[in-house]
Amino acid sequence: MLFHTWPFALFFLVFYPAYLILKGTRFRLPFLLVSSYFFYACFNPLYLILIGYSTLVDYTVVQRMAKSSRRKTWLSVSMVNNIALLGFFKYAGFVTDNVNALLSSLHISYALPEPGFLLPVGISFYVFQSMSYTIDYYRGKMEREKSLIAYAAFVSLFPRLVAGPIERAKNLLPQLHKTPKVTTQDVADGLSLFVVGMFKKVALADYLSLYVDNIYAAPGQYQSPALILATFLFCWQIYFDFSGYTDMARGIARMMGFDLMLNFNNPYLSTSLGEFWGRWHISLSSWFKDYVYIPLGGNRRGTFNTYRNMFLTMVISGLWHGAAWTFVIWGAVHALGRFVTRELERTPFYREKVPKLIKQLIVFTFVTFAWIFFRAESIGDAWLIITRIFSSGWANPYCPVWALIMVFSVWLYQFVYESRFRWIFDLAPVRIGLIVAMILYLIMFAPSSDQGFIYLQF
Amino acid sequence: MKEANEVTTPFSSNNVRLSGREWIVAVVLCSALLCLGQSLWGHIEKFDPGTDYRLPYELGNDYWLYSRYCRWACSKYDTLVVGDSVVWGHYVSSDNTLSHYFNQQAGRECFANLGVDGFHPAALGGLLKYYGRAITGKKVIIQFNPLWMTSLKHDLQTAKEFHFNHPKLVPQFFPKIPCYKDSFSKRFSAAVERYIPFFSWTSHLRIVYFENMALPNWTLEHPYRNPLGAVTLKLPVSDNNLQENVSWMEKGIAQENFQWVIPAQSLQWRFFRQTIELLRARNNAVFVVVGPFNEHMLKPDSYKTYQKIKSEIETWLRRNNIAYCVPDVLPSKLYRDASHPLGPGYAMLAEQLFENESFKLTILNESGD
Repeated sequence: MLFHTWPFALFFLVFYPAYLILKGTRFRLPFLLVSSYFFYACFNPLYLILIGYSTLVDYTVVQRMAKSSRRKTWLSVSMVNNIALLGFFKYAGFVTDNVNALLSSLHISYALPEPGFLLPVGISFYVFQSMSYTIDYYRGKMEREKSLIAYAAFVSLFPRLVAGPIERAKNLLPQLHKTPKVTTQDVADGLSLFVVGMFKKVALADYLSLYVDNIYAAPGQYQSPALILATFLFCWQIYFDFSGYTDMARGIARMMGFDLMLNFNNPYLSTSLGEFWGRWHISLSSWFKDYVYIPLGGNRRGTFNTYRNMFLTMVISGLWHGAAWTFVIWGAVHALGRFVTRELERTPFYREKVPKLIKQLIVFTFVTFAWIFFRAESIGDAWLIITRIFSSGWANPYCPVWALIMVFSVWLYQFVYESRFRWIFDLAPVRIGLIVAMILYLIMFAPSSDQGFIYLQF
Repeated sequence: MKEANEVTTPFSSNNVRLSGREWIVAVVLCSALLCLGQSLWGHIEKFDPGTDYRLPYELGNDYWLYSRYCRWACSKYDTLVVGDSVVWGHYVSSDNTLSHYFNQQAGRECFANLGVDGFHPAALGGLLKYYGRAITGKKVIIQFNPLWMTSLKHDLQTAKEFHFNHPKLVPQFFPKIPCYKDSFSKRFSAAVERYIPFFSWTSHLRIVYFENMALPNWTLEHPYRNPLGAVTLKLPVSDNNLQENVSWMEKGIAQENFQWVIPAQSLQWRFFRQTIELLRARNNAVFVVVGPFNEHMLKPDSYKTYQKIKSEIETWLRRNNIAYCVPDVLPSKLYRDASHPLGPGYAMLAEQLFENESFKLTILNESGD
């Protein structure tokens, strides 16, 4: 049940009036929980066992932690349980494949059987969210949640359940406990976010995927211009896809009276890779910063350790995105990029003399290059794409000009939005005009889409 | 919490944020533009069906145009001839169709060809229900093609999924069509589209100007073309080139032993009956033509079953006081296949019907001919 499909529209049409009636009563949280579980069960009813188990373990761990002197032991139970869940469901196939490849290279005829189960939707998101609760409680950064229903509703809140944002307990749990005020402006804001998100997903991401998927399915058949343009368009496709999803999730939550954190903040305008990670998938980046990078030592123990910590964090982040070596390399490439841009930023010349636009283009080009590893089917494909970009001919790429016009229009919008001409977009006719244009475009020209979101597979 | 968040959580990374009032303005603007757009489009885009017009085959999915054609035909013609490819004239040119020979018999242009190629009773019912609302208080000749009962597959009753034509027009949920297994989302979307006219208008634009593709797919096929340039405001003309004068025997088609579905169990017959009821409820004088099926093509057992089916259909029509005719089978050489006559076959069929008493009473006498 994806946000941009009819089944979700129907679900929300039934859910929302009931929610507005119940939000001021003691049935609010049970109703939210049941609705969220129903939403999740629509993907696969068996997933409920998993989310129920994860919720129950972390809830119990914190209850025990509160009454026990062996707090660290209970934290370890939570960590091991959550990592085991992720490891089993997300990485079992990856491990099996690699072990089998190793056995085969050693001429051992034995092979581990394939796990043969699918990655449960959203597991990476709610497991991280749940982990943040136990860690924050352990660190004394938040109170123990006494109500199991409230905690379960926090883990499973349906707008953000399957692809984030990965909310912190200290932000979301207090909101769940208070009676949400839903004002007209909340509904208007929610609708605005939802329409923008839907436009990004259906009109842009799904459109760009038509070209990108073709090229990346058989990179050996295409030459430099097509490969460059497909990579450029994928760079925007994944942004539109994921930030579109987040916008819709935030819009729905806003209509329910909840504020979810901003997850994307025009990342392709970043002037450094550090800034990029402060603008891209902010909820995940800050999660890794708080729960991996800083515990590893952060930047407190000298340059070598800082870069080691950065490297480890980026590689783990890459692995979080997918159980494949391409994601690991993607993380490593970003880590290397961060070293370079961090050092560059320390030089007065780069900091003061290089124009902002040039810095933005450098970062954008680097990020786009790194996406090759993220999108390619295998390391071999990624390498093939890179070599062909530099060594193949200049055949006509047959890339739709319309797609490029749309992408550059959004890019231009973002540049203007972050410039001193931002006031143009504050004008009511401009804002209304943009919404009307997006709605009309969606109704008239966008294909009916059941395409999933890229980040649902992570 | 809320007050705190208003300060801490940025709204978004853009400024597309409307107030409640601005949303009202936006919704009114969108609705006005869509409603105005489609009604103005009817004036901007030239549609001038001439004599013997029939919807071009490639526009069979253009329900908005069908609706427009219905309105036009209802304003110009006394009688509308409705049906599938047999009425449309699959193997003949537009001046060799049943409606053409009706007009020839009548001596004037009073029969419009509202047949659509590629339709079947389930889809035809939906087409008339949702897009043929203009057909009220008219005389309607509707043809039932028994071909749709020749197998479970034709009758849409196979348990295995089968992709038939015009799934958007058939009942999406009830009654259940066994071979129709589209996702809930697609079915629901199809059910909604029927009631919101601008969806069919946007489909019209897609079908006529973008080769029946969504704009994004079209731009992939034509990466350097301007989409606006493709909107030429010219509708494809009714094709006149489909002509085959070769009979089924000359084509080498053998006799067949069809696995008939009896009327009591037939979904297509059920949908056809509902269509008749719909047309009558809209105050139309309905005349049903059953067949003429190519009985020469039936093996003896199949022939016997068909006779029974024909008789059951007749009984139902009679019991329900529906004017009808089951024309005599045409000479074998005048059929192209199991159900489609060749040009001279249509001429002969029109002659037969003009001789039929019920036809004279329902269609001709009331028209004053």
